[in-house]
Amino acid sequence: MGSVHLKWSPLDLTDPGPIIEVTVMNSPDVLSAWRTDGLECPAPVRMKALLDTGASVTVISKVYANYCKLLQTSEGSKVTAIGAEHHCWEHAGAISFPGTDLRPFESIRIRSVVFEKEPYYAILIGRDILRNWTITFDGRHRLVTIVD
Amino acid sequence: MAPNSQFSAELRVFEQHRDEWSRSHPGDFVVIQGDEIADGFFGNYADALRAGLQRFGVRKEFLVKQVWLTEPVYCIS
Repeated sequence: MGSVHLKWSPLDLTDPGPIIEVTVMNSPDVLSAWRTDGLECPAPVRMKALLDTGASVTVISKVYANYCKLLQTSEGSKVTAIGAEHHCWEHAGAISFPGTDLRPFESIRIRSVVFEKEPYYAILIGRDILRNWTITFDGRHRLVTIVD
Repeated sequence: MAPNSQFSAELRVFEQHRDEWSRSHPGDFVVIQGDEIADGFFGNYADALRAGLQRFGVRKEFLVKQVWLTEPVYCIS
């Protein structure tokens, strides 16, 4: 069982929420297939992720999905943000949490959308991942704790 | 379907089977490349991805699609 403590203050009204460092890469199955075919494997990319209980699925910036060369496996689905619908793509990927002992997620579906503005974070960790964790927020001590 | 979709052939095959599959295997995943459908339905995305890699390899992309009668619209607040 892994855990991590994240400092986060809810008092800053411009702060979207708790942020965690993640590493995004292709799933081990895809990397293995690429290696077998003698293809070059892209390196893992470290980025900031927002823990977003309002996101039903995990969504990465399309720019970062391309940068990570995530294998695309579908397209044409939609996401809605504040009532507006956006086109999204689907990719196979893996997400790990460097500097923590949280279990990585391998061979998961990651949607990508074009972020209107490239914000402070590159990926939203949605409820498809959050549902695997126990998350507590201690407002007095401004501390978010994740246990998997 | 998006215009100029790179999965247009695969999505066309999917649409031909959507009604039938959504009755028999709602929520499962199918894997398609061109007009070729990988054998079986898969209970999760990881298994479907693995089956696609084994069947089609990684040189040309393949579609991994969850079977729903109506496509869900995901909320990201």
